[in-house]
Amino acid sequence: MRKQIQQQIDRIKAAGATYVDARWYPVDEVNNLVMWNGNLKNADTTRESGMGVRVLYKGAWGFCASSDLSDIAVIFNQALDNARVAAERVTFPVHLAEKDIIQARFESPCQIDPFSISLSEKVAFMKKMDERLNQSGVEQRFATMTFMRKQIVFMDSEGSQIEKQITEVFAGMQVSGRDDQGMTQERSYRLNRQGDTRGWESINPQVFEENADRIVREMQQVVAAEDCPKEDRAVILLPGIMFLQTHETIGHALELDRILGYELAFAGGSFVTLADFGKLRYGSPKLTARADGTLINSPGSFGYDDDGVPAQNTVLIDKGILVGAITGRQMVEEANVKARRQIFNGSGGANRATSFYRVPIERMTNINIDPGEDGTLDDIVRNTEKGIILDGDRSWSIGSNREQFHFANEIGWLVEDGQVTKVVKNPTYKGSTVPFWNSLSAVGDRSTWSVQFVDNCGKGQPSQIMQLGHGVPVCRFDNVRIGE
Amino acid sequence: MKERILQTLKSLRAYAVEKGLQVSLLYHEEESALMRFANSAISLNTNEHIVRLEITAYRGSQRAMYELITEPGKLDDMKKGIDTVAELAALAQPLSYTPTIPHYKADFIDEQGYDEALAKLSNEEKLAFFNQASAGLETDDLKLSGIFSSGTNIWAMVSTNSEFCQFFKTSDAGVTVVLAHATLKWEVQAEQSAQKKAELNAEKLHRDLAFLVERYQKETPQQLPLGSYDIVLGHAAIAEIVRFLGFIGFSGGALKRGFACLNEEKIGQKVFSDKLTIVDDPSYLQTFPLKRDFIGMERKAFPVVEKGVFKAFTWVQDDADEFGMTPTGHTVPAYSVVVSGGDHEVTSLEELVGQPRDTDLLYIPFLHYMNLVNPSKGIITGSSRFGALLLKKDGSVVVPYNVRLTQSMLDIFGDKVAWVSQKTEAYNVSSSYGARNPNAVVVPLFMRVNDLEISHSNSSY
Repeated sequence: MRKQIQQQIDRIKAAGATYVDARWYPVDEVNNLVMWNGNLKNADTTRESGMGVRVLYKGAWGFCASSDLSDIAVIFNQALDNARVAAERVTFPVHLAEKDIIQARFESPCQIDPFSISLSEKVAFMKKMDERLNQSGVEQRFATMTFMRKQIVFMDSEGSQIEKQITEVFAGMQVSGRDDQGMTQERSYRLNRQGDTRGWESINPQVFEENADRIVREMQQVVAAEDCPKEDRAVILLPGIMFLQTHETIGHALELDRILGYELAFAGGSFVTLADFGKLRYGSPKLTARADGTLINSPGSFGYDDDGVPAQNTVLIDKGILVGAITGRQMVEEANVKARRQIFNGSGGANRATSFYRVPIERMTNINIDPGEDGTLDDIVRNTEKGIILDGDRSWSIGSNREQFHFANEIGWLVEDGQVTKVVKNPTYKGSTVPFWNSLSAVGDRSTWSVQFVDNCGKGQPSQIMQLGHGVPVCRFDNVRIGE
Repeated sequence: MKERILQTLKSLRAYAVEKGLQVSLLYHEEESALMRFANSAISLNTNEHIVRLEITAYRGSQRAMYELITEPGKLDDMKKGIDTVAELAALAQPLSYTPTIPHYKADFIDEQGYDEALAKLSNEEKLAFFNQASAGLETDDLKLSGIFSSGTNIWAMVSTNSEFCQFFKTSDAGVTVVLAHATLKWEVQAEQSAQKKAELNAEKLHRDLAFLVERYQKETPQQLPLGSYDIVLGHAAIAEIVRFLGFIGFSGGALKRGFACLNEEKIGQKVFSDKLTIVDDPSYLQTFPLKRDFIGMERKAFPVVEKGVFKAFTWVQDDADEFGMTPTGHTVPAYSVVVSGGDHEVTSLEELVGQPRDTDLLYIPFLHYMNLVNPSKGIITGSSRFGALLLKKDGSVVVPYNVRLTQSMLDIFGDKVAWVSQKTEAYNVSSSYGARNPNAVVVPLFMRVNDLEISHSNSSY
């Protein structure tokens, strides 16, 4: 197949294309198990295979994908035809940033292939967790496990050839019960990074058992709790919501295609402009954020992106000042020209597609917040006069330019004079992105930092779901509106 | 193509029967094309041809599913898939109920929703359409974005319970045209959903866009004070709220799992404004309907809300099996939701703006990034986008920055509804996550709801 792909790349290049690449997925397999109240509702396996081809012709992209590989010339021809038509409406010809020619292989760290584990063993584990969750006050029990493995062969007309073997494991559980008004309250646990590998060994029964007991206990507390007050308080975000705050108001806001207006048809833009790089005080000096595709063991680490660029660790916000973005080869060139200055020194290696039948776009890698110097969670609570600790992502909604947001959480703990006083239910908070990050008043130390996995980040048209990670500490923000 | 697909399914069925297996086979084939615009250029032009086969195996109360994306002619791979899923089903933990295996009582072939002219639209035609829709509106500052998504969608199914097959073929298109100011960051939008080529109307898109562009270019945007407003929702916003109501309003499964804002006691009671009637009606071709569900049940008009009275929950087969309920023909990827028009005569935004009014009206055409804050209470939140207007009592028009609405759907569709437009329109809510899945809802063009709070007001875009 590789020989055939190379022949087609050469043929299309000879027909006038300035650049061609192909991503061949010999196998892309997903195994999803869902257990609801002890019933194995889903025992699904999906196996995909096919090829996606990108052609750049006179400054415009054409893309074609098919699961029918009986005559791959058809796919290449259609991609070229699509590019030819696209070239009739070009306002800024696509130019790709320089990159090294790479012959490489990447394999995500995995000790035990989850696909080597029998269905009965996986189900037995879920059943055990389900029984553990089946405690007093629990009306609904939900557990899910998803295993992914994909082999991707990337070849381009510049001579790069990269093979990737990616294995992922996602798992979680949720319980819900009813409060005295008959309203459902829920508490959930999502598997985060456990160690340096991400195979079946990530599924540590002890971790799940401890968290099963914890979420049941906390759900029981929420069910019996009063409503969250409507007022201004300091919010202390635990990693179970801090990851999403980072994802929505730093990650998406700093995707360079959004900043340049390439997502306005659907997902939206960004309040950030090219003039802001190096100048905008995005957050308080306690905020340093990075896009780290090199972080060991996270779904946002994939070796090489779908432009064939190696993963990198890029600072996005340095002590509160905006300095970087999430970038691929096309966008950095356009941004530098439009800004009339060199903002970006080459691609940040963040152009990815979710499958062979989707085109690569700028996607988050691991968007992390550096740990700070404000101590442990207990230290931060002790130094908070009037606050609320929040955890769990019950709901999230963000303005189209990522300029404002509204989050609902599963649980809140009120803090008065340095002490946790009581649990509240239906907590929410909202704010405007830049004032919010500038109100960051405490960043927890390494003991509070953990890598949270995201398996459902949506973007693009046609729509794409992507997997990534966020390494985040506990953070406190002052004067935030809660309870609305 | 139809014969090839049906023959494939019959061969696979015969293979399963010969092995003594109980399976259902769901075939999905899509030809998708998407021309995407950004910064006044074609930023992406794609074609995807994907063939999926979903095999579900049953062994009494055990069940497993296997889906493969493959080449149409790879029968051996598909047979291997049957073997694999049969092995998985044998390992699956038994359910507490016995799942129903689809049983098709007769062949059912439905190609009524297919229009070859739409399905085979050329690249050149799509580009010409977009050029016409945006002609003269682009400037150095005002950039064109949008999509022209079109394609063919085929569902075909058979099970070992009978030799009969179901086959559905539709064409669909969704067009979104956005004009966005490069520096001021405001955006206006016009959209169209089409089941056949004749429904595409570039001139109408142009008219809608030109009206909004003129307003936005003329007026200086303002931050609205927080508080209560009488709000006119546009059809995109109405469609999005109705879609969410489908998740947590009238789904029987959501009810049983504690994530519904309605309950069994509400059946037969007035829960919404008497101006609201919602029916799942597969006779509307604009919704890309399925007239049989995937279990084989005939789908007829199914009233959900009649003049504000909640009529019934919908039950997909699996939820019905689990909770001992009767299925209602809703085992489909999407319903054909139709919200009836009311008695207010208004057929366009231009007309709405020109009508006399007794108070200020906040027009919200579109709710961006809606999510459920509290399912039990039906509380949703989302932000205005794409051309909101404050229509002042004195006839003047203010362009507002975006605002956030955090409200219960029970209030939005409750007694605060002042009027519903007579005119309805199909609004495309197709999802392209994973498989192409065309869907549209038919909703009133406008709905006025009095006294709704805005919970956040932007000071800029």
